[in-house]
Amino acid sequence: MRKILFLFGFVSCSSPALEVTISDSQGKAISGAAVWLAGDQWQASQSQKDKVYSMGQKNRAFVPHTLIIPTKSKVDFPNFDSILHHVYSFSKAKSFELKLYRDKPLAPVHFKETGVVELGCNIHDWMLGYILIVNSGVYGVSNAQGKVNLDINSTQLGNAQLNVWHERFENLDDPESMSLTITQVSQSVKYQIKQPLLEKMEFLTDETDDYE
Amino acid sequence: MKQMITSKQLSAMLSVLLLSPYVAAQDISTHFKGAIDVSLTNPSNMKAWHQQGWGIARFDKGSNQLGVSRAVLSTRVDLSSAWSAHGVAQYVADPKDKFGLTEAYAQYQPLAQGYQFSARIGGFYPRMSLENPALGWASPYTYHYSALNAWLGEEVRTFGAEFELKRAARRFRSKHDISMIGAIFKGNDPAGTLIAWRGFVPHDRQSVFNERIGFAPLKSLSTPQLRLQGQYVEPFTEIDGRFGYYTGLHWSYLKRHNVRLYWYDNNGDPSAINYVTKQYAWDTKFWSLAWRAKLSAQSQVIMQAMLGNTAMGLNRGVDNDFYSWFVMFSHTFDDYRVSAKAEQSKVIDKDFWQFDENASFTQGATINVQKSLSEKWQLGAELQFIDYEADARLAVGRTLGLDEQIWRITAQYQF
Repeated sequence: MRKILFLFGFVSCSSPALEVTISDSQGKAISGAAVWLAGDQWQASQSQKDKVYSMGQKNRAFVPHTLIIPTKSKVDFPNFDSILHHVYSFSKAKSFELKLYRDKPLAPVHFKETGVVELGCNIHDWMLGYILIVNSGVYGVSNAQGKVNLDINSTQLGNAQLNVWHERFENLDDPESMSLTITQVSQSVKYQIKQPLLEKMEFLTDETDDYE
Repeated sequence: MKQMITSKQLSAMLSVLLLSPYVAAQDISTHFKGAIDVSLTNPSNMKAWHQQGWGIARFDKGSNQLGVSRAVLSTRVDLSSAWSAHGVAQYVADPKDKFGLTEAYAQYQPLAQGYQFSARIGGFYPRMSLENPALGWASPYTYHYSALNAWLGEEVRTFGAEFELKRAARRFRSKHDISMIGAIFKGNDPAGTLIAWRGFVPHDRQSVFNERIGFAPLKSLSTPQLRLQGQYVEPFTEIDGRFGYYTGLHWSYLKRHNVRLYWYDNNGDPSAINYVTKQYAWDTKFWSLAWRAKLSAQSQVIMQAMLGNTAMGLNRGVDNDFYSWFVMFSHTFDDYRVSAKAEQSKVIDKDFWQFDENASFTQGATINVQKSLSEKWQLGAELQFIDYEADARLAVGRTLGLDEQIWRITAQYQF
């Protein structure tokens, strides 16, 4: 059982959602953390699995930077730039490559295995994006305030496992988790990431970086 | 043009690439990009060097005041995951409407998890410049390239193979990109001719393969020692049968700082001459150091310096040291880009051939404003001051110095 480094309160919220706030070990809000609930009650619905998700490339960046999807769903890779992107993954969960032009969209990619897919571009090697394929239907990515609202209904109360992942984890294949008892649909949970995060790297690129 | 084997070999290579059965496979796709620049400018009173005149401005009285200053068509053919073929064709208005290739090469860039190996084979620019990242090696900052890169554009091209080993920052969760580059090439023997007999001049005229570029009617070309030299350069020809090489190092920090250091040596045999094309092999070698610093997402500073030597003749009868540098500041806001550049170049005559003076000195200042009207249309204006001195001018009774003030208004359409 992992050491418990979290606090969770039972403050009622106006919207029916489980509000999770992610912070680092200093208590600073962490954006871009992927959060999902594991357990039988929080499985993805058929409509969630049937949806085609999108991982675009815009201004030489993956948009969104982190995408979280349920297992066995599909992702489209639209290129909004006027230049070629050669998107690839060597990840265990899904290994693939796509040469993508704006005017030549390719078929969506099917993600059947759970895990983390790290995306790169063979032409613009600073481009980095993540797809998390999770065995869950209740998930989200934290915003600038470190908050993510997980929509649940009254049938989804009970003991759950809350999983948290961030791109600045040392081991990307090892999300953190904690046990959680959900007693009401509007509930606030605070989660403090246990491990020290790797340094944040902010690359600064523009159209003149194409010529590499 | 019997000596221009290089481009013939290239054409043959490209034909093989384009027509081989491999191309019949299904995943091959071809994509085109292009741009057309229509410019209005004030033509110089002096006939331009490429018209075999003494002028240092690209467009003279013989040019159209309003016309297409440049058109470029860039083609990329994806042959497989790792292989692609690239061709860049350009229309050059001066001196005689010419449409030719500026680059044609095959690129090998396989997907890599760690260190990335890649290679280019064919005819292409070495990547020394941080000023020319736009389509067809153009500058997105100013219409006239710095004299340094203008010279690279007219006399330096790789016809051979370039190899790169890159440690890409993201793949190693690092802030630093580091690349090592090495190339061997042929067919760039006369590079240096224009440095000696014209000097550095800022312009945006890129030489196409197989091109012959004129220069002023120097008095020294009528001397017995230089009688075998034509009043032109064919920069991409092979004269001495020897390989040249260059090595480079690219480093970048979070893409905020980019540094490129190169050592180029065409390994020319200065005693070699082609009597038919009247071209010497020049022994030309130089360092090039370029640095770009992004001060913010809107502002950046680009600078580059080159230092080298070029010589020709059995006993290095023409032997010159040279340097060239520029500093440019560029800022974007809304749909505008404003750039300002200062530059200086010098050719130092080291030899004892008093009848052939090569010393020259060029200073320039350029300011440019561009506005993007849409994704396809752009409009801009540029003002440039050039202050040029060349000892060779005195030999024909001209003043040592020549000043030019050039303005240009350009509408660009990209597709």
